[in-house]
Amino acid sequence: MILDLHTHSVKSDDGRAKVENYCKWIQKKQLPLDGFVLTEHRQFDADSDYRELEDRYGLVILKASEVETEYGHVLIYGVNDDLVNSFDFADVTNPLPMVLEAADRCGAFAAPCHPGRKNVGLFAHYLTKGAVDGVHTVEVLNGGSIPGEDELSVTRAAEFGYRGFGGSDSHIVSRIGYCATEFDDDIEDVDGLLNALRGGSFRPISLRGLADDRENGDQP
Amino acid sequence: MTSPEPTSSDPASSGYGVTFDQIELGDELPVEHPDVSLERVKLWCDAADQHFPRFLDHEAARAEGLPGALVPGIMNQGFLLALLHRWAPSATVRKIDTVFRGQMVIETELTITGAVTDTDEDERTVEVDLTVVGPDGRTGVIGTAILAFE
Repeated sequence: MILDLHTHSVKSDDGRAKVENYCKWIQKKQLPLDGFVLTEHRQFDADSDYRELEDRYGLVILKASEVETEYGHVLIYGVNDDLVNSFDFADVTNPLPMVLEAADRCGAFAAPCHPGRKNVGLFAHYLTKGAVDGVHTVEVLNGGSIPGEDELSVTRAAEFGYRGFGGSDSHIVSRIGYCATEFDDDIEDVDGLLNALRGGSFRPISLRGLADDRENGDQP
Repeated sequence: MTSPEPTSSDPASSGYGVTFDQIELGDELPVEHPDVSLERVKLWCDAADQHFPRFLDHEAARAEGLPGALVPGIMNQGFLLALLHRWAPSATVRKIDTVFRGQMVIETELTITGAVTDTDEDERTVEVDLTVVGPDGRTGVIGTAILAFE
């Protein structure tokens, strides 16, 4: 099962993608995605209900968050009321150890994203502030990366023994699925996603250029 | 502008001059590389009365902590609008919404792309994604637009 674990919709301040348009795009481009996770910036979107879109397009659509810390951005899956009330999601200087501890305590799963990004990624901060205990998984493939950044993420994650996953970090419709994560298990809901992430049976995949290939008649 | 000039007499091969009936969800707009030479940016700054050193002087821009003189944000938006008009000259741009996420430096090769993300047969409108990508591959500007056809 393949999920894009890092997407933004119009609910994010810099997102311009309508969720249904993501679904239409995946269908039209025949992207091999079984679903995607909306990781809105500095908030958890508790209100939106995408079950009707899930049924209409046959996709899994889950909700998560992307928060900010002094070590860069962190994706949190399995956000619940306890976690939302445990720290300020809107604060851009949250201490990373606190976010990791809070997520763990509340039954969520936290993982730094685009850690290889120059100056602002986790590994850039490691060089100046040292490594942080409690990190176990990072987004090693990110659709917004420039050449060299994901390679650095993969290398450094291996050095630290971190597991890696992938996400497009799409803010517009046509960028969904650039990177994604392949799971061995079927995932239908957030609990299933949490179990799969904790189980570790997943791997990052890059789907860059796939839509163009299909438009040209090439089938992978 | 280093992209091919529009050839509306042959829209299928050029990608320019399309009509509503020729557009489908998933279509890609022609890729363009706008002229962001110092000379061209200065012309734009003169026209827009935007005479800031950060747009016209690399050293002054670097003194502000920038990587070099920057392409003005709304000049980027102008490039995107020009692409839309060349692609679909019979359409009206009902809305354009851009987000400036990174710094685009003048005298570099920028790449402009677009893709159709929705169509409405009843309203005869299309929604389009837009991007401006820098020479290092970083996307500096994203946006969306809605075009309405007669």
